[in-house]
Amino acid sequence: MVPVQWYLLLATAVFCIGLFGILTRKNALLFLMSVELMLNAANINLVAFSAYWGNITGQTFSLFTMALAAAEVAVGIGIILVLYRNFDDVDVTLAKGMRW
Amino acid sequence: MTPLQTQLPTWTAVAPTLLLGLTALVLLLVDSIDPDSTRPGALAGIATLGSLATLAVAGWFLLAGTGQTGSGGAIELYGGSLVVDGLSLFFTVVVASVVAMVSLASYDYLRDRTYQAEFYSLVLLAATGMSLMGSSGSLATVFISLELASLPSYALVAFLKDNRGSVEAGLKYFLVGAVSSAVLTFGISLVYAATGSLLLADVASAVGSAGDLVGIAGVGIVMIAGGFAFKTASVPFHFWAPEAYEGAPAPISAFLSSASKAAGFAVAFRVFAVGFPLDAVVPMGIDWSLLFAILAVVTMTLGNFAAATQENVKRMLAYSSVGHAGYALIGLAALSGGGPNGNVMGASMAHLLVYGFMNTGAFLFIAMVEHWEVGRTFEDYNGLATRAPAACLAMTVFMFSLAGLPPFGGFLSKYALFYEAIQGGFWWLAAVGAINSALSLFYYSRVVKAMWIEDPTGEFDLGATPVGLYAAVMVAAVGTLLLLPAFGPVVETAQSAATALFA
Repeated sequence: MVPVQWYLLLATAVFCIGLFGILTRKNALLFLMSVELMLNAANINLVAFSAYWGNITGQTFSLFTMALAAAEVAVGIGIILVLYRNFDDVDVTLAKGMRW
Repeated sequence: MTPLQTQLPTWTAVAPTLLLGLTALVLLLVDSIDPDSTRPGALAGIATLGSLATLAVAGWFLLAGTGQTGSGGAIELYGGSLVVDGLSLFFTVVVASVVAMVSLASYDYLRDRTYQAEFYSLVLLAATGMSLMGSSGSLATVFISLELASLPSYALVAFLKDNRGSVEAGLKYFLVGAVSSAVLTFGISLVYAATGSLLLADVASAVGSAGDLVGIAGVGIVMIAGGFAFKTASVPFHFWAPEAYEGAPAPISAFLSSASKAAGFAVAFRVFAVGFPLDAVVPMGIDWSLLFAILAVVTMTLGNFAAATQENVKRMLAYSSVGHAGYALIGLAALSGGGPNGNVMGASMAHLLVYGFMNTGAFLFIAMVEHWEVGRTFEDYNGLATRAPAACLAMTVFMFSLAGLPPFGGFLSKYALFYEAIQGGFWWLAAVGAINSALSLFYYSRVVKAMWIEDPTGEFDLGATPVGLYAAVMVAAVGTLLLLPAFGPVVETAQSAATALFA
């Protein structure tokens, strides 16, 4: 059996890739994908430690996470659609009408 | 008095939350039966009545002692995943009062707009999530209720689909929200990794003996704190707040900055007080109250200084909302293992209730000004009191109450908060808070000066009086004033609810 530390490393790596994507990408759709990566990193942790602790709490919670990630994307796509209609692009840096 | 839960089935303890959800479904049902309704009053009425019913039931439970120390302690449902106690009922009262005022005001704001039923039902669905946040007994419920509150809020901020400001605000709110909810989820997964449970009570008993995994638990706790910082508009996840509040429809700004913030604090209070008790985590080197102390100082200073430099009144209120998140964070910062922790947390809860009235009122006044199409900057408000004296008087009450001047509710709640912080030995937090309050008087009084002292720059063409908006602003003003004599019982209820968390 793979030691649980490796899963933790994998999850952290996936999380950081997602975070990097959020900080560097301008396309709103790529942004959504990066958020999915971060959420799925949490799922890796939950499932791996579910096996480690011998209870199914983590696995059950990962199902909830997936369902809510889907709901979040649904709302997000809606907002990105109205962004496209108003700004003719899905570049998140275009919307800067309000400033500090 | 006979405990209420011996007379009613246990599940009725969540009746306030169920009522909010049911009202949202009724609104959708009405909309599907009569999609082209020509009576917008019916929708606003259903939403207002539903939230008033919630307010009545939650208030009754709170007074009757349901789930509180005097009558058998917290009521646990679904194996402890849902907890109904003083804290959850108190914050349900806050959320329901804000929703009642916001739906009353939206009647005028939404006139001539489409998708009204969807608007009200999204508000009530978000309110259901906020009410659930206060009842979360497990990290799973925390995540789900937080998302239930967030997802409708994103849609509501972007509700004015053809308005670039609203869309931009919705986009920014969504982007920051999505990232912070991912951070929160990863934090929850790390805490689960270290403790093997998601139930707060089990996490509390396991976190002290995490052994090799203590570092993971620490990172997890910090990430969870980050997720809550988003919901409460605190540093470091505060920068969505000015954009979202400025661009959103003003009733939604009122709703988010009052109810959503209060719910964020409700869930943060419970998770940190119950799930990560200081007695257990401080010996392991995870002192989250120190983290919150730093965040409180930075949040209130940044919010107040940024508010002082604004020219747009709505944006000034948005930054002032960040500043008030800093004051409320004192309730999580001025804690110590074994100290009188319930008192300062209770004072923070009471401040959030008062804030719910005065801040909702202030944003609804902005909604009224937007309805009149007067303008957005301080100069546009010049001489407004000559045309709308009653509304401007109410706004003056909100401004002075937000600043914490004596004859209003905001004075007592701030005073109680700072007093309890000093009692807990955190005099420097109270000092920073007091200095910031003094600074805040500068920009709040600018609004008052513009309305009452300056001469009008042009003619106001205000048109018909928006009845719903006027009524909502007046209710908020009366609430702010009534909370001055009623503050004693309020803060006692809040403190006993908070003390029960630490027991």
